[in-house]
Amino acid sequence: MRVRTALLAAGTLIPALASGIMLRNLSRIGIHQGYAPEQPIAFSHRVHAGTNQIACLYCHSAARKSRHAGIPSASVCMNCHSLLEKQTVEIEKLKEAVQQKRPIVWIKIHNLPEFVYFNHSQHVLSGVACRKCHGAVETMDRVEQVSPLTMGWCLDCHRTHAGVPTSGFARAALNLRGQSRPVPGLDCGKCHY
Amino acid sequence: MDDHRSGDEVRLHWKSPEDLRNGSNRGVEPAFNDGDWLGGSTRRDFLTLAGFSLTAALAACRAPIEKAIPLLVGSDDITPGVASWYATTCGACPAGCGLLVKTRDGRPIKIEGNSSSALSGGGTCATGQAAVLSLYDDARLRSPMVHGKASSWSKADAVISNTLRGAFASRQNVVLLSRNIGSPSTNAVIEEWSQLNPHFRHVIYEPVSLSALREAQSECFGRAAVPHYRFDKARVIVSIDADFLGTWLSPVEFTRQYVRGRAAETRRSQHVQYESRFSVTGSNADLRVPIPPSSHGAVALGLLRRVAKAQGLDGCPEAPEPASALATLDAVAGLLLKHHGQSLIVSGSQDVAVQTVVATLNQFLGNIGTTVDLAQPSLQRRENDSAMAALLDDLDRGEIDVLLLHGVNPAYDHPDARRFLAGLKKVRFSVSTSDRMDETSRFADAVCPDHHFLESWGDAEPVQSSFSLAQPAIAPLFNTRSAVESLLSWSGRPLDHYAYLRDYWRRALFPLQKETADFDAFWDNTLREGVFVVSPTSDPVPIAFRGDWKRAAEAVAGLARASVASPHGNTYEVDLYESVALRDGRHANNPWLQELPDPISKMTWGNVAAVSPATAAALALADGDIVVLRSGGTATELPVLVQPGQDAQTISVAVGYGRIAAGKAGNDVGVNVFPLATMNNGSHRLWMPNVSIERTGRRAELATTQRHFSMEGRDIVQELSVADLSRSEPAPLAEHHLPSLWEPRPEGDHSWGMVIDLDSCTGCSACVIACQSENNVPVVGKQEVQRTREMHWIRIDRYYSGAPENPESVHQPMMCQHCGNAPCETVCPVLATTHSSDGLNQQIYNRCVGTRYCANNCPYKVRRFNWFQYAQNPSFDFHMDSALGRMVLNPDVTVRSRGVMEKCSLCVQRIQAGKVQALQEKRVVADGDIKTACQQACPAEAIVFGDLKDPHSRVSELRRDHRYYNVLDELGTRPNVGYLKKIRNRIETQELK
Repeated sequence: MRVRTALLAAGTLIPALASGIMLRNLSRIGIHQGYAPEQPIAFSHRVHAGTNQIACLYCHSAARKSRHAGIPSASVCMNCHSLLEKQTVEIEKLKEAVQQKRPIVWIKIHNLPEFVYFNHSQHVLSGVACRKCHGAVETMDRVEQVSPLTMGWCLDCHRTHAGVPTSGFARAALNLRGQSRPVPGLDCGKCHY
Repeated sequence: MDDHRSGDEVRLHWKSPEDLRNGSNRGVEPAFNDGDWLGGSTRRDFLTLAGFSLTAALAACRAPIEKAIPLLVGSDDITPGVASWYATTCGACPAGCGLLVKTRDGRPIKIEGNSSSALSGGGTCATGQAAVLSLYDDARLRSPMVHGKASSWSKADAVISNTLRGAFASRQNVVLLSRNIGSPSTNAVIEEWSQLNPHFRHVIYEPVSLSALREAQSECFGRAAVPHYRFDKARVIVSIDADFLGTWLSPVEFTRQYVRGRAAETRRSQHVQYESRFSVTGSNADLRVPIPPSSHGAVALGLLRRVAKAQGLDGCPEAPEPASALATLDAVAGLLLKHHGQSLIVSGSQDVAVQTVVATLNQFLGNIGTTVDLAQPSLQRRENDSAMAALLDDLDRGEIDVLLLHGVNPAYDHPDARRFLAGLKKVRFSVSTSDRMDETSRFADAVCPDHHFLESWGDAEPVQSSFSLAQPAIAPLFNTRSAVESLLSWSGRPLDHYAYLRDYWRRALFPLQKETADFDAFWDNTLREGVFVVSPTSDPVPIAFRGDWKRAAEAVAGLARASVASPHGNTYEVDLYESVALRDGRHANNPWLQELPDPISKMTWGNVAAVSPATAAALALADGDIVVLRSGGTATELPVLVQPGQDAQTISVAVGYGRIAAGKAGNDVGVNVFPLATMNNGSHRLWMPNVSIERTGRRAELATTQRHFSMEGRDIVQELSVADLSRSEPAPLAEHHLPSLWEPRPEGDHSWGMVIDLDSCTGCSACVIACQSENNVPVVGKQEVQRTREMHWIRIDRYYSGAPENPESVHQPMMCQHCGNAPCETVCPVLATTHSSDGLNQQIYNRCVGTRYCANNCPYKVRRFNWFQYAQNPSFDFHMDSALGRMVLNPDVTVRSRGVMEKCSLCVQRIQAGKVQALQEKRVVADGDIKTACQQACPAEAIVFGDLKDPHSRVSELRRDHRYYNVLDELGTRPNVGYLKKIRNRIETQELK
């Protein structure tokens, strides 16, 4: 009798557990939180952004004017590395690429589906800090995806900041027009087109 | 019907004889064919497969690795994701409009008009808009070819230079046969060749020739040039078969002028069109008179006789006048005389005598110097039919030793193509600069492919003293070379095109201006602006008329008498014309243009024999019946289209179809009717009399996009007469008096809206291609168009009113109306279509499951469903199945997949870009910052987009205009897109008499 109960319990629990795990996995399809691929050059953000305090936008200058933050071209790296004496294996790789005129093929970490339009400049200019989405990059030797980059995660922020102007300019613009509309949009068509 | 799906098993069903006649019915297909839809598998198989694929999908859930490859050496000018714009000159037709080319990450993706150009303004035409796709044409040659084999430039140059050097040394005949070359710098190279080599000559050839017009100016005014016409300065415009708003000479510029001349409500120009077919121009005329092509001369002469008589000039011969035009000639002549110096008569006739009569009319009416500018004439067209005829004779006799072909394809588009080909074979060495192995270059000894104009440097002088520069917007995709560089290299001056062009401008054009003494500054500025106009230094010298108009009039009268003397009996006249999309067939391999509905007939993917309703009734013909046109020794089979407004004695057919070596999209589409054209007194004539028409009993299904032309008694298109203009009150909109069931929606900062002026819209269809290019709208092909599955987000509905013999028509651009209370939104079960806070009806592709309820519930029928995967699908191999063709796609717009609905988004990507730009520049969005693709392309400036929340925006002002109305307003949809009523300014011929 007891055996039978145990079997019955196991018979219900195990499939339930299995389907629970499956459902959880299903719901996480396409989410790559924690993705930290190996890069062709072991560039350390900890050294550059952390130790040396180089501003994010120095290298990723496109983030101010484009939808893409952009990966700096090798010529930007060489702005400093042509003067610095320090040599490592990794820096050699960079210099070799420049000498051989061979572009560096980085692995893209933060990927959005193709039906979403995200614009870096819009967020940077509205005063959203880089670390808000990208995490503490200045502590990472190898960059990993910190945020889930799901629509729910985007909207969490858009909802919280609704009505709260996020930059000096936005605040001034709102005052000028005497309006109290939220700056970040919740309309589907703001990102999906 | 041509439905042979499975032999005799599929029976044809029709709802009514009418339905059958219209050919719109197809065989009824069984919904399910015993499991055939799954390739013979059963339900159990399906479940097994579904289960397996879910497991497989879970197991394989790893995103593909995406790469990011930055530039090795960065540039201040290139930011990934930010568009760069280059000013250049359009090379799609000889008109040479100014363009701005949008490039993203190094590839041109969109063409727009250059508003700095005084001629074309910011407008473009459909052909110009589509030219960007021709850049990514798979049929383009990848390298030079010598004797049919791929070669290198050095080898090709060696062969050609040797041949040319030998030919010049031994005084052999060398001929350059080219299309119109608008570039002054290129013409200078050719001029040098002529001077250095007495045995070299340059022949300019166009299949649709304006040679007669130019020759007539030479006879009348001593200047062999096409005048620069000013439709904006004319109060009365009379056109005798010149389709100046569609294809004739410079349609973008003329549309702009024409609409400006009609914009004034009190001083509107009046337009009379005598024509054989129903053209775009005719559809805008205030008085349209169908006449057969043989009567073009009689009409011109009839006007001249009346004008001359009124001015006391004797000696104008009388000629029989066509019955249909008779009633109008007195009235029109009266109008012309009333507006001395403010009228304009143009003609598309290819007869020098007729053009001389027209030039004389303009002279007698005082138009020379006002609406007809010969002091600074147009330089767009310089073709010479008699030189071409002489060349053909020389070819026959084998007297041409070296023939260079540049941009021409006479083996396809010459009326006597066979004779040309026979002559070409007698040429010792022939070189073509064609970009593909077309009908002519297949037989050339060497093919040295020219760049696409978006890859090339260049310049143009469309109208004397109005220059424009062309610059490359992309590095050459293939191993091609600019034809100028080829010419320079073969003449022993291996210069690159840029160096030559810059040097030419320094020598020839820089001294013409006084603003700057620094050539570099001048060059940089012109390159940025794209255009450079030299202001005239002195007053124009008056041009004396010295034409022997009486002789020309006598010649025209003789022809008219002869044509009356030979009664038509059972024969018709055939009139060949250029279609708005394909023009002379040069763009036949452009799938966007093949699928662009003709502005009047709404035909896509092929040409038809347009017959009048009377002819159709007499011969019992219906749309789709295949007929044979017999003229002399030629017999041409074509499907029939019953065209209201078509002249009863005339059958009109578009040229440009039936290419056999254009490429995958253009080959074997329609029928080539160039062989029907004739040579007459040394000029090409695109019409011929005495053509008989016979039924074959077979039928073809036409691919038309509008099959229903009735408004079913609803006020879809609204019109006002000029008399009513002053009395007209703004109509009350439903939103002000109809109750709404819906709660007011939360509103944001903006409410985007659009107003389209039906009075300005000419139906030219530039907006349709602009939208297709901007929004990655797929091409679906002939069969899918026949199933009414075309994907255009903006269509132009054309409605007729009045008698079918000569109806009035109106063009109505129709796209998503962005209803405030949208019927589509309420029926979507998954909320894939919702309303945004700024007034847009948004369609979210990733949410859509394809129920199509929304399309069913849309009263405007503007939603398009992706029945198939159109991108990367070999079944739809138009341009989105090739990596090259996909380079034209706009990266800011999703490429939709199978099973989702789509529709006009009011270019939401441009709205977002405008907002981001305002944010970057720390300001708010200003009126006019954001332009939709259709608005930007419109040469008539008929489309205005803006923020309805801003009471001072132009769109808000127009919404308050007394001509404003909403389509189907009574439904209470409260659209954000509205229309301005068309103004009718009919010329009452009886009253004026």
